[in-house]
Amino acid sequence: MNPPSTPEPYVNQGTAAPVGGAPGMGRVEESADEALVRRMAAGDDQALGVLYDRWSALVHGVVARLLRQADDVEDVVEETFWQAWRQAGRFDRTRGGVQTWLLTIARSRALDRVRALRRRREEPLEGDDGQVVAEQAAEGDPALDAEASERRRIVVAALSGLPTEQREALELGYFGGLSQTEIAERTGQPLGTVKTRMRLALQKLRSQLQVLGSDGGRAGGAG
Amino acid sequence: MSDGMTHEQAREALEALALDVLDASERDAVMAHVATCAICQSELAALEHTVGELAYAATPIPMPVAKRDRIRARLVARAAADGASREPLAAVTPLRTESEGAPERADITPLRPYVKVRRTFGPAAWMAMAASLVAILGVGAFLKASRERDAARDSLARVEAATGTQLAALDSLRATLTARERMISNLIGPQVAVMTLASTDPASPTARMFWDQQRDAWTFVAHRMPMPKSGRTYQMWLVTPRAKISAGTFMPSPDGEVMMQATYALPKDSLAAVAVTDEPMGGSPQPTTAPFLVASK
Repeated sequence: MNPPSTPEPYVNQGTAAPVGGAPGMGRVEESADEALVRRMAAGDDQALGVLYDRWSALVHGVVARLLRQADDVEDVVEETFWQAWRQAGRFDRTRGGVQTWLLTIARSRALDRVRALRRRREEPLEGDDGQVVAEQAAEGDPALDAEASERRRIVVAALSGLPTEQREALELGYFGGLSQTEIAERTGQPLGTVKTRMRLALQKLRSQLQVLGSDGGRAGGAG
Repeated sequence: MSDGMTHEQAREALEALALDVLDASERDAVMAHVATCAICQSELAALEHTVGELAYAATPIPMPVAKRDRIRARLVARAAADGASREPLAAVTPLRTESEGAPERADITPLRPYVKVRRTFGPAAWMAMAASLVAILGVGAFLKASRERDAARDSLARVEAATGTQLAALDSLRATLTARERMISNLIGPQVAVMTLASTDPASPTARMFWDQQRDAWTFVAHRMPMPKSGRTYQMWLVTPRAKISAGTFMPSPDGEVMMQATYALPKDSLAAVAVTDEPMGGSPQPTTAPFLVASK
């Protein structure tokens, strides 16, 4: 029996474009994460391990925001990376970076779990309590590399800049897994008001996050 | 909302669609429009990208090291199996005859749970000798089984294509394939606990027990196991606070390899330890010697 595998050292070789690289500048050199996904698509299981080493903390953080039970959180983290493995061949770098792709999978799987649990228990969704993201540390995070820390700082700053009621509605939907109707019920606001707040919030964020290449372009170095 | 949603109505709901906060009926109506509208498709793609970035607002939370490593090992093992199965048959390595020895030569008796305690060692003695539960999946046995599975599958295909004169070989390969498939599933299931057994012998054999809690399957893999003395055998025990349950006897191969499997339903929380003792040939209702290998939970 072989000893437990040692995480392959990850060296960012500086192939990624810097954050803020303008979208639509033509083909960007393949980033280290994209190389990992390419290796995964070719059946390299060790590449999955390295991708996991790099992003499990962030994926875990996202999933933990949506789910309360540790067992559920861990299951979904594993499901997320397993789905990434299975779908690596379909990863499209023109639609965004590897991290964003991973996080989208993570949220989707977590939402599936949240809703399944709610159906099973026939209980009201717990959901996120709409806590203010901005109060969380937006400084460099030791669990992230410099690029991801910078991306996180920009996103947190953009969220912090939203009017409180818009941010709360957005967070209840995004991190709480609540539908607009459920948010209206929870907050006591008219459904139309909730819809307007969420729409305005996302439009503002879209504008604010263009610096990340989020507007349909590829985030420089995001993957 | 009706199915006949206008472009303007759909456009106003695209943000909510990207956020996945629409109720089902409204979501279906919006998506029906988007499917026919290139403008909305483009807009939705951009909004979905913005939504994807929101995940960065979550605080990264490193998992506890043991859990993190366990998930990692399981993912890599699953990927190795999956990657192997993606390979074309021509690329599969030929059947490795040397790998046939361990499981076939092991003397595995059917599981016979004994619940009456006749002679026991105190739990403290067992626990004192126990190593900690190590939640790291050793993938070596799994990879070996995976290769054997693929090799068996390859051989099976070739034999099936040949004349019907090799039916015996065919049956044997089918059995090997089935056994390997079953073992792989027992090693990589979502609820597999892994225990590393510490040795009290200076020759230092290494051993791991994989407990598939969904299938109640136990897979024991050991290396460098010394051959017991004449008339003696090894016996595996599942130790609960109330009983020591026999999981069967086994003998190592001449090169010290062991792989045995057993099936026994045990509540998740009731396992205190797994242990291996040296017993008279045929096994004992209860352990009669101090454990040779032991791991506590």
